[in-house]
Amino acid sequence: MLKELRKKAEADFKANGFPSTKEELWRFTDVSRVANAEFSNEWKEASVDFQPLDKIVVVFENGKLSREKSNFGDLPKGVCIGSIMDLVDPRIGSLADAQSAFVSANTAYFTDGAFIEVTDGVEVDTPIHLVYLADADGAAFHMRNFISAGVGSKVTVVEEYIGETEKNYWTNAVTEVFVADRGSVDHYKVQRESAASFHFQTLEAHVGADAVFSNHAVTFGSALGRNDIRGKLTGEGGEAICNGIYLLKDKQHFDTHMFMDHAVPKCNSHEMYKGILDDKARAVFCGRILVQKDAQETDAIQFNGNLLLSRGAKVNTLPQLEIYADDVKCTHGATIGELDDVELYYLQTRGIDPVKGHAMLTFAFANEVLDEVKCKVVKIKIEDLVHAWLEKVSA
Amino acid sequence: MALLEIKDLHASVADKPILKGINLTIKPGEVHALMGPNGSGKSTLSNVLAGNEAYVKTRGQVLFNGVDIDDLAAHERACAGMFLAFQYPVEIAGISNMYFLKAAVNAVRKYQGRDQLDAMDFLDLIEEKKKVVTIRDDLLERAVNSGFSGGEKKRNEIFQMAMLEPKLGILDETDSGLDIDALRVVADGVNALRNEERGFLVITHYQRLLDYIVPDHVHVLVDGQIVKSGGKELALELEDEGYTSWDSE
Repeated sequence: MLKELRKKAEADFKANGFPSTKEELWRFTDVSRVANAEFSNEWKEASVDFQPLDKIVVVFENGKLSREKSNFGDLPKGVCIGSIMDLVDPRIGSLADAQSAFVSANTAYFTDGAFIEVTDGVEVDTPIHLVYLADADGAAFHMRNFISAGVGSKVTVVEEYIGETEKNYWTNAVTEVFVADRGSVDHYKVQRESAASFHFQTLEAHVGADAVFSNHAVTFGSALGRNDIRGKLTGEGGEAICNGIYLLKDKQHFDTHMFMDHAVPKCNSHEMYKGILDDKARAVFCGRILVQKDAQETDAIQFNGNLLLSRGAKVNTLPQLEIYADDVKCTHGATIGELDDVELYYLQTRGIDPVKGHAMLTFAFANEVLDEVKCKVVKIKIEDLVHAWLEKVSA
Repeated sequence: MALLEIKDLHASVADKPILKGINLTIKPGEVHALMGPNGSGKSTLSNVLAGNEAYVKTRGQVLFNGVDIDDLAAHERACAGMFLAFQYPVEIAGISNMYFLKAAVNAVRKYQGRDQLDAMDFLDLIEEKKKVVTIRDDLLERAVNSGFSGGEKKRNEIFQMAMLEPKLGILDETDSGLDIDALRVVADGVNALRNEERGFLVITHYQRLLDYIVPDHVHVLVDGQIVKSGGKELALELEDEGYTSWDSE
């Protein structure tokens, strides 16, 4: 079945090609640079450094699982982690079937990726760290990940994409997540690809009754990139949290497209995205919340805030609500601004000089998003990366 | 030497003259109250002193510890020992009160050539100052002033003052919007910080605060000028008569 799906995806991709800016969903993001590039698939080892977060780390180097660099730790019973090429589940491909050319290309050409399955009632205490190392010039990496959390189970997964500076390549990832009733998936994505790379990912999650899906996407890298984050609340009492930060400089272009589908009653979703942009960077945020006819008592909130550190930086933000139920609580908002002079003055009257005050406020702006990061090692990692980024920008 | 010496101070906001020749001297250990109706220039004075760049000094001189404040940026004035308790304390999302206090204390200490406090020493200092101004632990963990009630914000200002141990504390209408219990907490904090070296400038519209923080001197500010100075009894006179006798009409 997967074989047929892949055949069809390849046919779709070949027939339709990449989207153009004439399409509504791609209005602000021109992918012709990806479309016009040639990619080879010659494999090589990667010499990129990484720091394992904890005992379980699964490493993909230049698109292929490296068993030497990976460490599967002492997996508790009922947890299966491996390569998606070795393991089978009929649900692979069922979520992200053909939302975009990028998904079609991934379905057609994926060569590896992580398969994580946690059976009913099992809780995994250690975060599962997936590391994608890239330093092969001119390569395309179609990574396909599958995460399934059984009834009442609990798991934390961290996807980290690390690229060697100035290497030219294309990461095209798709992650499908299934959270069964009362399950919990705490998912993170840290993207620090090469500044010359293209990075695209579609994440699609189905969230069951009384289940929780939490996602934090932190973006530092890639010349041109996009996250498509799609959540569907399929059981009553489900909750989805999709937060993120994008920190962009030079001529980076990064697009976040969020779609939250409330299909049933009594679900919560909240999304907070913050962006900090320097130089001539460009960000796009498009968040759409759909509340279907039956989804009464929905509680949805979405916010996108942007801080511009330079006059050349630019943001297009479009929060959207589409509501067909009548008993709902939905809010959304967006801001684009500079640092607040009154806050800076307040810090100064307490002895904090303007340079330090500037750094504190910039960090604080992003930090609000990290409040909901439950996994401590991940929080520390992200904070360190944000600090390092801010130091580089202010230098 | 005087702690603060204001000589013929003129200042404008958005090119509009507000302060029109203020003279005021505060010596160590003294508490001065500055009273005046709305629009008399009370907050302008505190902002000029603290170094808010939206307020422009157009004439005169202000010496703080003998140093012309024109030579000091806002943060340097703070580091040199000036503290302004805001009328409207600023909310800063994303920075915890603890982190903010530590950054402030260490910035001041660094400027004064003293050692930086590490986490343990800092916590000891917090505990010590909690005896001066009681503050709930959860307010210290929360983002600076975010979601604080009016009273909690003012209390936080006085707590910051206790932490920074300034030479001069300027209280800009700290009493506004406070109920009597909150007012008492704030006043107790200020009174605990009074000593023979530290000076205060207590700016207020109402006499009420001065029942709790008893001043050595009272000045009446009307239309950008001090029109009368006297002892603490002057505040009581104002309580009875208001500011009507200085109205231009």
